[in-house]
Amino acid sequence: MAGAAAVALSLSALPSAAAPPPPAAGCRPAAMAEEETASDGLGWLFSWLPAWCPTSLLHLKEAEDKMLKCITSTYNKRYVYIANGNKIWTLTFSPDLTRKTPLVLLHGFGGGVGMWALNFEELCENRTVHAFDLLGFGRSSRPHFDADAREAENQFVESIEQWRKEMGLEKMILLGHNLGGFLAAAYSLKYPSRVKHLILVEPWGFPERPDNAEHERPIPIWIKALGAILSPFNPLAGLRIAGPFGLSLVQRLRPDFKRKYASMFDDNTVTEYIYHCNVQSPSGETAFKNMTIPYGWAKRPMLQRIPQMDQDIPITVVYGARSCIDGNSGSTIQSLRPNSYVKTIAILGAGHYVYADQPEDFNQRVKDICDSVD
Amino acid sequence: MLDRERGWSVSFAGCGFLGVYHIGAATCLQEHAPHIIRDARHIYGASAGALAGAVLVGGGSLAEACADVLALAKEARKRNLGPLHPSFNVIKIIRDGLMRNLPENTHQLSSGRLCISLTRVSDGKNTLISNFNSKEEVVQALICSSFVPIYCGLIPPSFRGVRYVDGGISDNLPQYESKNTITVSPFAGECDICPKGNSANFHEMNLTNTSIQLSLGNLYRLTQALFPPEPKVLGEICEQGYSDAFKFLKENGILNDSIYVSLSFTKRNPHEAMQHVGYMKKKNSSENNRVETSKLEVLSNQIKQNSWPLEKSVFESLPPRLRKALQEACKEPNGFYAQFSKLFPIRVISYLMLPYTLPVESAYSAAIRLVNWFPDMPADVRWMQEQFCLIAGTVYSQAKRRLFCTYRKDKYASLRKCQTAPSAVEFHSSYCHLKMPHSSADIETWLWESSQYMDSVLKHVSANPKEQSDSYANFLPNSDESGLEIDFDSSSETSFQTCPELIPEN
Repeated sequence: MAGAAAVALSLSALPSAAAPPPPAAGCRPAAMAEEETASDGLGWLFSWLPAWCPTSLLHLKEAEDKMLKCITSTYNKRYVYIANGNKIWTLTFSPDLTRKTPLVLLHGFGGGVGMWALNFEELCENRTVHAFDLLGFGRSSRPHFDADAREAENQFVESIEQWRKEMGLEKMILLGHNLGGFLAAAYSLKYPSRVKHLILVEPWGFPERPDNAEHERPIPIWIKALGAILSPFNPLAGLRIAGPFGLSLVQRLRPDFKRKYASMFDDNTVTEYIYHCNVQSPSGETAFKNMTIPYGWAKRPMLQRIPQMDQDIPITVVYGARSCIDGNSGSTIQSLRPNSYVKTIAILGAGHYVYADQPEDFNQRVKDICDSVD
Repeated sequence: MLDRERGWSVSFAGCGFLGVYHIGAATCLQEHAPHIIRDARHIYGASAGALAGAVLVGGGSLAEACADVLALAKEARKRNLGPLHPSFNVIKIIRDGLMRNLPENTHQLSSGRLCISLTRVSDGKNTLISNFNSKEEVVQALICSSFVPIYCGLIPPSFRGVRYVDGGISDNLPQYESKNTITVSPFAGECDICPKGNSANFHEMNLTNTSIQLSLGNLYRLTQALFPPEPKVLGEICEQGYSDAFKFLKENGILNDSIYVSLSFTKRNPHEAMQHVGYMKKKNSSENNRVETSKLEVLSNQIKQNSWPLEKSVFESLPPRLRKALQEACKEPNGFYAQFSKLFPIRVISYLMLPYTLPVESAYSAAIRLVNWFPDMPADVRWMQEQFCLIAGTVYSQAKRRLFCTYRKDKYASLRKCQTAPSAVEFHSSYCHLKMPHSSADIETWLWESSQYMDSVLKHVSANPKEQSDSYANFLPNSDESGLEIDFDSSSETSFQTCPELIPEN
């Protein structure tokens, strides 16, 4: 078993060795920034070997283009260069509507800007919408994150702040889903003056891990042992280990994604996009893993820190009625911030991916929230 | 949630032995919000979910169903190999239980309301059956929906002449994507009524529409679905279903109207409300079956001494009939033989004896099954024959196509060769010149192949004349490329014209 684990580890480490290191820092024109830089360093050694996972940044770019193909509203896309040579892949919709506070979308774990494909058009109707791939995810740079949870979180938050500076935004409405929700809250804690309204969609990492594992039904030893064996791995290591079978693995295990986006695509566009987003070298994924304790709980839960948040920041929590993430976070936040605006919205018939499960409802709710801002 | 105008449905996920969860949840819905079931447009279900739905809509008793499931689980656990032991005939037990539990007019009650998810064997597509003409049809559809292939048997049951297997294979949670469906699943995941796991993991997988959160608890539940745990654990699952459904009703503000009105003053305090509901229910039940409850008190006193594992408060909120069923199922057999067979050395010996006892038991149970099979035998044998013919036909046509393709390539190559070959070749007999190496084996295969091919072409002639011309065209590549080839093709065409004449002669 240990041998198998070692093989698996080396396999999951392989793509990271072959991944291109971040290109040199500097502000290049946006037009040039679209092109992917060729890998150097160790890349020459592995580049001619047939890759175990059939993916590359080019594949990801193509998958994303397919995701955004149906969007008719005007938008521009570019890399935004931030410190340490990192770059953030950014989409901007309705860039001319500058009078209103822009809405900034932070995607969740394992996602990317493409996941909002069902939402862009409606959300950008009367205000600018920015969406970017978080540092370490999607088409953004995949740097090395600190192993410490606090440091990793800080790296994420600083990347958002640097991105905001580069974009020249004064204030924004911050909307985060899943991990994005956690980071949006962490950002609002650190830079409260930049956030006009915080929208948390199915946020991850708010409640603390309950100690009373006693009331759970006892689980056989062999299942616990399996859990212990799997816990040192990255959450999606299996996808990389599966290599050429990874794509069909995603299609087999998550056929629901295809259905969620069925109104837009009738082929496997979404699963391909998700596959290529996640099978690249795990950078944000590793950071996420370092920020969690088994199974899926945050090391530094946000509910402990939310009372310190600026009282003037209004918060709206949106969750899907069917989701397995507890919707009670909203009422807990409310009780922790008695003097501030906190609203909880449940969207019926939606699971964790609220914005894709019930896009009309979701878009309408978010538009209402934005309209209440200005 | 409950939109009066557009209506709503309830959907129960397939889950094997975890069906007791549905029974718990359904009991809660029936007790606290009977209008949810009564006014629902449809009750969907697959496998165990369909069984629960049928009992709920078709007028059966949930407590009896619960007792049946627990008895089935006990039966499955009785033997060393568990449910895989040859003498464990799950389908028969389910059928007997349903025939006993469902009333005679069940088909009238459930027609148009109960939708059973089935997987058609022929193409693997999902079908929803919702109209029934007799009680037997309801039971047969439920049997089809519960038939897990290999686990339950090898020959799939038929419903109205069509073979079906477990609905969970194609759609385990029908209509789950609809906003107005109340989904019930014993696996922690994205459902309206489901256990909330002790995990914040948002990773999940989706098995034929049932979303299952990736957690250790769910992994354990998956293993329990077909290999039942002890009755005590099943009782806990049942109780969890009840409390999860209650939580759902509370969160959505749907409690039985009468109770709701009387509780409006305690609305702010759900705990109090729950106690009150429990009290009301107890009062009702004590009026209805005082004798039973007095019996139960004695029983529960006994159970208390044996340290009943369920949470007492929730357990007491379970309706007395269900409680009784659970308690009786959890009672250990007290006979001398039962005690004796539980001793560790005896169990070891029984495992060691397995190689000797198993064949005997297998033969015995096989004989019993054979006897039970007699009424269905002709239909099943016919079906097996059809399947065999179908499979053989597919294999044969595949093989033929492969062979024929390579053969065609050969022929094509030989045509090319023939461009330099003496033209006298064409005056030989109609077939042997097509293969340059004239070995007898080749001639034989060619003759056989071409006659078979012609046979199939002839069969298609009447059905599709266009296809025929196509196949001719395919068969004669590059017919107008060069003069020599035209010559050659004309001769091969004559070979085709002679072939159909040859076949009737043969």
